[in-house]
Amino acid sequence: MIAIQLTNTRAWLEAHQRLVLAAAAITAIAYPFVVKPYILSLGIEVLIFAIFAMSLDLLLGYTGLPSFGHAAFFGLGAYIVAYMTSRNELALGLTDNLLLALPVVLLATALVAVVVGFFALRTSGIYFLMITLAFAQMLFSIAIRWSSVTGGSDGLTGVPRPALGLGGFTYAFESRESFYFLVLGLFLTVWLLLRRIVSSPFGMTLRGIRENEQRMRALGYNTFRYKTAAFALAGMFASVSGLLLAQYFWHAAPQNLYWAMSGQVLIMLVVGGTGTLTGPILGAALMRLLPNFASTYTDRWQTLLGLVLIMFVLFAPKGIVGVLRGGRKQP
Amino acid sequence: MTTNKVSGVTRRELLKLSGAAATAYAAGPLLSACGGAAAGPVKAGVLLPYSGIYAVLGESITEAMKMYLDEIGNEAGGRKIELITEDTEMTPDVAQQKARKLIEQDEVDLVAGIVSTGVLYGTRDYFDASKKLLICANAGGNKISRDMKTPYIWRASFTNWQPNWPLGSWAYENVAQKVFMSAPDYGAGHNMVDAFANSFQAAGGEILGTQFTPFPAMGDPAPFITEIQGADPPMVFCFYSGGAAVTFVKAYGEFGLSGNIPLVCAGFTVEEDVLPAQGEAALGAQSGLHWALLLDNAVNKKFTAGYKERAGKDANVFAVQGYDTGRVVAELLNAVQGDTSDVNKMIDVMPGISFDSPRGPFQLDAKSQNPTQHIYVRRVEDVGGALHNVVIEDLGAFTDPGDDSLG
Amino acid sequence: MDTLIIQFLNGLVFSMLLFVMAAGLSLIFGQMNVINLAHGSFYMLGGYVGLSTVRLLDSFWLALMIAPLAVGALGVAIEYLLLRRLYGTHRHLDQVLFTFGLALIAADLIRWNWGAYVVSVPAPPLLQGQVPFFGIQFPLYRLSLIGFGLIIAMLLWIFIERTRIGAIVRAGVSDARMVSGLGINIQLVFAGVFALGTALAALAGVIGAPVHSLYPGLDFEILILTLVVVVVGGLGTLKGAFFGSLVIGMADTFGKAFLPEFALFIIFAVMAMVLLLRPSGLFGLKAS
Repeated sequence: MIAIQLTNTRAWLEAHQRLVLAAAAITAIAYPFVVKPYILSLGIEVLIFAIFAMSLDLLLGYTGLPSFGHAAFFGLGAYIVAYMTSRNELALGLTDNLLLALPVVLLATALVAVVVGFFALRTSGIYFLMITLAFAQMLFSIAIRWSSVTGGSDGLTGVPRPALGLGGFTYAFESRESFYFLVLGLFLTVWLLLRRIVSSPFGMTLRGIRENEQRMRALGYNTFRYKTAAFALAGMFASVSGLLLAQYFWHAAPQNLYWAMSGQVLIMLVVGGTGTLTGPILGAALMRLLPNFASTYTDRWQTLLGLVLIMFVLFAPKGIVGVLRGGRKQP
Repeated sequence: MTTNKVSGVTRRELLKLSGAAATAYAAGPLLSACGGAAAGPVKAGVLLPYSGIYAVLGESITEAMKMYLDEIGNEAGGRKIELITEDTEMTPDVAQQKARKLIEQDEVDLVAGIVSTGVLYGTRDYFDASKKLLICANAGGNKISRDMKTPYIWRASFTNWQPNWPLGSWAYENVAQKVFMSAPDYGAGHNMVDAFANSFQAAGGEILGTQFTPFPAMGDPAPFITEIQGADPPMVFCFYSGGAAVTFVKAYGEFGLSGNIPLVCAGFTVEEDVLPAQGEAALGAQSGLHWALLLDNAVNKKFTAGYKERAGKDANVFAVQGYDTGRVVAELLNAVQGDTSDVNKMIDVMPGISFDSPRGPFQLDAKSQNPTQHIYVRRVEDVGGALHNVVIEDLGAFTDPGDDSLG
Repeated sequence: MDTLIIQFLNGLVFSMLLFVMAAGLSLIFGQMNVINLAHGSFYMLGGYVGLSTVRLLDSFWLALMIAPLAVGALGVAIEYLLLRRLYGTHRHLDQVLFTFGLALIAADLIRWNWGAYVVSVPAPPLLQGQVPFFGIQFPLYRLSLIGFGLIIAMLLWIFIERTRIGAIVRAGVSDARMVSGLGINIQLVFAGVFALGTALAALAGVIGAPVHSLYPGLDFEILILTLVVVVVGGLGTLKGAFFGSLVIGMADTFGKAFLPEFALFIIFAVMAMVLLLRPSGLFGLKAS
């Protein structure tokens, strides 16, 4: 019954593509002006985590590398931008300008990813999972210990909202609405970039590695280089989401690096559907909004969340995306 | 199947993205169906952890706060008081979002709560920006009373400095002139150790060694206990809370240190919430805190009896803080005659708030935005078959200096 | 010098506790190739059931029997009704999601039933008290943990290496399809292994409770520790779990003794180093 209704809906949507796209665009643009400020805040949070989850999808869904330490890059993005821009007594307070902060964050994250990857990418499967956990936990302990730089367990406060521009033509994203558009813009950028990457020859190679790495090596590919590139790219995209989070909440906290955060984004991805890029978005929405909503009404929200996750595993193993797709074949 | 590409992206892909985003966006307004503005009762948001390791604190504070409000008929300043509780899950980001919900969606008049310092520091900027009053019911991070002060955050609890600084000189005079210190390696741990060390050393004491243990998970404490034994100090100062407090103190007892090396600690280490689990190992431990279960004053007797009846458990310092937070809210509303429309008016009356609390005289200090209160030295003793904290000395009233001059 | 010897003993005690914690996970992961993120939950549940048994029946020894039985039965039920639909390497992510959901539910229900306050379980009267050792009084119960660990290790070894069922389990670790091809009911074996694994976790929970007490959040602390131990030792072998426990137990203890603030760092650094030198862990069977 539901499958038929979904198919009919899908058919209608297909036929009216332009209309749907236009409606989506209008929704996205009008959103901050139509909903209450708190709902806007939730939207921003979901978009930020959607970027985070999409970045992990590149690693897990497309390259087949299960990382349990992805929060390391998320936290790196948060801490680097916090340290560079915060007016806190501990931090540098250099600049609000994204044009300076963003490249530094991306470069630093890529470097860390290459170094960590040099060691971690020699393993695979459960061992890769654990080694990425190890590196993330080591980063976490550094954040807690090195309080003169990271603020220790208190984190770095006073992170300002970003500005973008050159000289006189600088725009400051102070207001929530403007920050929303910044996040939306970056979200769309990351999505487009990832789309390009996964459908490019490079992306095909990654998928090949996921399917059978030995065969790819036999075919002459230097799989280690490809995996490192994927690892670095995934890390960089994750750091963007971490940067946005720190700027939105004016605060970088060690929780951003903790294994629970790595676990949460992994769950988001699995629930949403791996290897799809839209799955992570839905997973992010579910994992951030459901607990938020449920905890207002019941103390047993964790049980509820656990049940929802189990339901997904048993009845929708391909994730939310799988449900929406029904029985259709992948293009 | 049309495959028009828009800059390398198929229409289908854009459709999928739109569909996903639309679903995510639609979830928001669904949530906005709950809550809404209402004139009349004063709405107080309560932001506490109800899950995870600090759940006990959240529960105790809430129970006691409700107890106080029930005592005054849930009314003050001529208006009814309504509580809206939210779970911070001990994560600063989640807490900030919940604060937004309370302030922007539920449109509360003020917020009470916050257990952990990390969450307090992480939400400070939001309260400052939204100009909403927060009455902190626990988090003791010194900075909020010092360099991170904002007019919008006031405490009904303590600063990490407050119960430990007076204890340092007391310990020097009454227990030993040398000490070995142990605390978890995070903000509060350092705050407490620094405060104790400051007055201890000023009195002439010597610090034999300090160990900072892994945070948040200490794991097996045996190596730390062995290190302490190896240093053979005449006294140990420590601070732990929750599970770590139980594990540490129990190991302290199991290795035979309890009777031999006097344990002087920050009161939280042997507070009523962890004493039952610690058992005999805690017997004889002395600690400094701004309250004790068996503190002998009329308000406390009534409070502890009432709490025991209501919650079925002995009160603890967190409950007292919750109780006093309720009272601060009530006193505040009375002082502004129920007019919560101007936050500056509310801030102006805060320093004037003083009353007799279960902890003794309670007076909000204008500079540190924290109570001036008595600090008591307590000792864990067997009282009628159960272990409790008994007051052995009242050190007098102390006010947080509002700067880092005293540690 | 004395301090060093005592720290060594501490390390041994902690290693044996880790071994008991990790044995169940190693078995389940090694034999069934199933990722069980609810392992810490079974451990914690075992501890709480043990607590209730001690409160009701006033016997630690009964708790040692009842908790594993009760939790093992729960494990069998979960395996039979739900988990067995998720076998296979390609379903690892589903296992992650499923067992994580289980862990969330377990943590919440445990807290609902037993409360959020920290509760301790007293050691049995027989094992209370101290023993003089190199100038200090060493807790008898901790010493007995070494005994517990060794006994369990030995019993498991006999089971795995010296019994027919154990041989089937070992064969199943290497090649499950082959085993069922020989006419053995592999489903039953899996169910049995899962039951044994969860029962072991619960047993460990009872044994560990007098040392670290019970509180919300214990489950995930234990999970992370045991994952590290199992991976360092290498999946699938008892030897791996045993030596992994020793390595991590000693690293943790001496890390805390000499670099207390870096203790957390040290465990993960050790794991990373081991994996880099031996990508399948110390005694791992499967090549990575």
